[in-house]
Amino acid sequence: MKIQINEQVVELAENTNIEQLLAHLNKPLMGSAVAVNQDIISRSHWADTILNEGDNISLFQVIAGG
Amino acid sequence: MLNDDELLRYSRHLLLEDVGETGQQALKNAKVLIIGMGGLGAPASLYLAAAGIGHIVLNDFDHIEVSNLQRQIAYQSSDIGESKVEVTKRKLQQINPEIKVRSINKEMHEMQLTMELTMADLVLDCTDNMASRQLINKACVNAKVPLIVGAAIRFEGQLMFFDHSEVNSPCYHCLFPSSEEQALNCSNSGIIGPVVGTIGTLQALEAIKYFVGLPSGIKNKLKLFDGKSLDWQTFTVNKDPKCKVCGQH
Ligand SMILES: [Zn+2]
Repeated sequence: MKIQINEQVVELAENTNIEQLLAHLNKPLMGSAVAVNQDIISRSHWADTILNEGDNISLFQVIAGG
Repeated sequence: MLNDDELLRYSRHLLLEDVGETGQQALKNAKVLIIGMGGLGAPASLYLAAAGIGHIVLNDFDHIEVSNLQRQIAYQSSDIGESKVEVTKRKLQQINPEIKVRSINKEMHEMQLTMELTMADLVLDCTDNMASRQLINKACVNAKVPLIVGAAIRFEGQLMFFDHSEVNSPCYHCLFPSSEEQALNCSNSGIIGPVVGTIGTLQALEAIKYFVGLPSGIKNKLKLFDGKSLDWQTFTVNKDPKCKVCGQH
């Protein structure tokens, strides 16, 4: 299936969850935030949030600076 | 009641239907705790003082260094070595002698922070590290005090508002659940002054809107600012029922 990650189209296996997606992208779990279709997904739901064809994923880092 | 000096000083607020004399009086009665006097806290505190927030408490434990001056616009070269909160307090009183400013020149731990929150209507998190952000969030959730969080790095900014006086408000920890986050900060990544200034300025704007009774565009939202494209992205933050800070645990 095709999904969008930060405006890039990515081909992904069916039934991929967010945790698998981050592993697939070699992204650390710590310090990352993920939104699916503009909704932030809490980390406790990364393993049970299955991505669907056409989903718009935003992946970004926690910022602490000021 | 506003005195004659105040009627003149705040005349541009009084012209606004959304502020007026009622709103200005609400600003005058407001008590805001600003934690962190760096690139966010500088513009936030200057604007809130100018706007007539009646009681401002400033907290930081740092002294001014030459490397701060590139972005922390409350300070000048002759302030180097001085305490950030003392210099800011002086500046705010010079801008607006009608308001009360108090400074706390040390790192607040949970007990003192909790005590301060009993006297605060709203908190601005303008800090520069994840441990402080988690501590402030937890204390605000427990004390049911609304929290406006700003953060910036490189050309990027993040802005969010959680009204912890509301029962089902999500919190910062729902979004970023660990104090050991490999979070980016200004000393390891660099920062452009106007980017952090934009976020601090918007924290002040949201604070003013909160007190005059205007709805916030960032409540339970996370706004991401891209200083290169000037694009904003908006995300909804949902309460995590398993959150160790605000959930049923
Ligand atoms: Zn929470």
